Amino acid sequence: MQYSSGFLLGLSTGVICLAYCGPVLLPYLMGEGKSISRNIGSVSLFLMGRLLAYLIVALVAGIIGSTLLQPSRTKTVFIAIVYMLLAVMLVLYGFHRFREVCLGRINHTASFSRIRQWSLLFALAGGFATGLNFCPPFLLAITGAMETGNVAGSLLFFLMFFLGTSIYFIPMPFVGFFRRQQVLRIIGKFAAILAGIIYMYNGMIMLLNAITSKSHI
Amino acid sequence: MKKQTVYTTQGSIWKSIMLTLPMILLILLFIAGGPPDLSTPEKSLSFLFTFSFLTLLFFLILYTGRTDRYRAWGFVALALFFALTFIVNLIRARGTMTFSQETLLACEIPFCHIVTTMILIPIAITNSIIFPGSIIGGFASIASMLVIVVGVSLALGRGFCSWGCFYGGWDDGTSRILRKPKIKKINPVFRWLSFAVLLIIALVSAMSLNPVYCDWLCPFKTVTEFEKITSFTVLMKTVVFLSLFIGLVIILPVLTGKRIQCATFCPMGALLALTNKINPFDVRINKDSCSSCEKCINACPTLSLSKEGVAAGSPSITCMKCGKCIDTCSKQAIHYHIKGTPVDKNYSWARNLFLYPAFLLLVVFLGGPMQSGIIMLINLIKNGSLIN
Repeated sequence: MQYSSGFLLGLSTGVICLAYCGPVLLPYLMGEGKSISRNIGSVSLFLMGRLLAYLIVALVAGIIGSTLLQPSRTKTVFIAIVYMLLAVMLVLYGFHRFREVCLGRINHTASFSRIRQWSLLFALAGGFATGLNFCPPFLLAITGAMETGNVAGSLLFFLMFFLGTSIYFIPMPFVGFFRRQQVLRIIGKFAAILAGIIYMYNGMIMLLNAITSKSHI
Repeated sequence: MKKQTVYTTQGSIWKSIMLTLPMILLILLFIAGGPPDLSTPEKSLSFLFTFSFLTLLFFLILYTGRTDRYRAWGFVALALFFALTFIVNLIRARGTMTFSQETLLACEIPFCHIVTTMILIPIAITNSIIFPGSIIGGFASIASMLVIVVGVSLALGRGFCSWGCFYGGWDDGTSRILRKPKIKKINPVFRWLSFAVLLIIALVSAMSLNPVYCDWLCPFKTVTEFEKITSFTVLMKTVVFLSLFIGLVIILPVLTGKRIQCATFCPMGALLALTNKINPFDVRINKDSCSSCEKCINACPTLSLSKEGVAAGSPSITCMKCGKCIDTCSKQAIHYHIKGTPVDKNYSWARNLFLYPAFLLLVVFLGGPMQSGIIMLINLIKNGSLIN
């Protein structure tokens, strides 16, 4: 398979990737209430997290080939744990500085740099966790990567796939256009908590299925 | 204070009767749907009772000047009669309140207005409707409900939530059970929670191509239809929606005196709140008359009024136009208003112009279920069964 077809695959299925990432990325951007230019930084970090996840999967696909697509307890447990960690992060993020957001003032003096670091880490980790969604386009990308027959080809295929899907993320920073609407920050925080509950449920169900399933590791 | 040159129907019986006459014609038109069917005593009785009830409500709203007090009677009746007739008809057709996989595959699930919040993004992405209902055929088709939602949004905005929603009457009713609420302080920030629910269910429905709110969260499955329990997952879903019904529709509204489900959880309410900006009616507060007693803030069932809102002269975007704050205000400082007209003039004109479409919506939704429900109740008394 041509590497460029990875880009076309990403381009044709990127909306689905956006739909998968939306419940994490949109509440985060709304909750932060940053300007468009700063949102570009946040979305870039989120995309870097996704790219990292893609490249890891590409590497594994290149090494172990079709085994990656087989049902595996280890794989399920790993993704379940990642989802549950993401859920914890989303809930913590939702409650983090919630009081300040509701009251409409932010204490800039209180360990601002630490808050900023935590916020940046959230974007990166959120991108990584959502990048591991085994959605239909992602499974197609794995198949395409395996068809290249080598690790370098697999990595390149996934890189192209990532670029194709990333185009759909271009409008996301423009949430910052509404940053003066304090209420959007409140909604973003609430939405992060709700998304956290959904990811926690998904993670727990996956873990439960992995524990009770009869498949080998 | 400026002298207000307004006319009022309050206390004027002839003016109220004259203004009720057009509504009588509309009620007759909408509840009969043609020549009235008076072929049996049961049908005649149900028709006459429904007609009298609706006419009396509208007259009392005009004559007493109290909107919410009499609206609530009709609105609660709508919720109860809708649930009764829906469940009985379902049992007649399927023999059970539950639906199975076969029902889903046959696309026979009635489409309710709340589903609108989940199908819009998937329509844009996939050009398909992610709901197992009928597009134009059968009971509660997708097309007819979408037309109603668009029409009502343009005419009344979130007024639908207090005048036309066949679920809203549940927590409107339960929130009135206690005269004095046990929980008095609720952080008004929770009124934005429904917007977060809207955002998340719209995105997750697009992600999973499945209407997740209907599938997992809708508390009103308790009083309509729900999935047959065939697995642990379905059991979980049942526990979730039952808990939400008990918590958000019964316990919290009783304790707080607020419409908690509608105000904090319903995604359709959030979507309709956005349309509050584009319809002609709103609620305004005359700052000259306002004594800042804050009775309206405490009375608002949807947390839409705050000190800041009162100072600014209008409730928040989440206002459902139920009229409770208007009824509560002893200074008559709060009133319905038509956008683009002066705020401190023609209160009664604005009120009457709002009441016609709003009450007509109630008539359209309540007329059918009430007549059918009364016949069912008569059958219950006569035969001991609602079904036969």
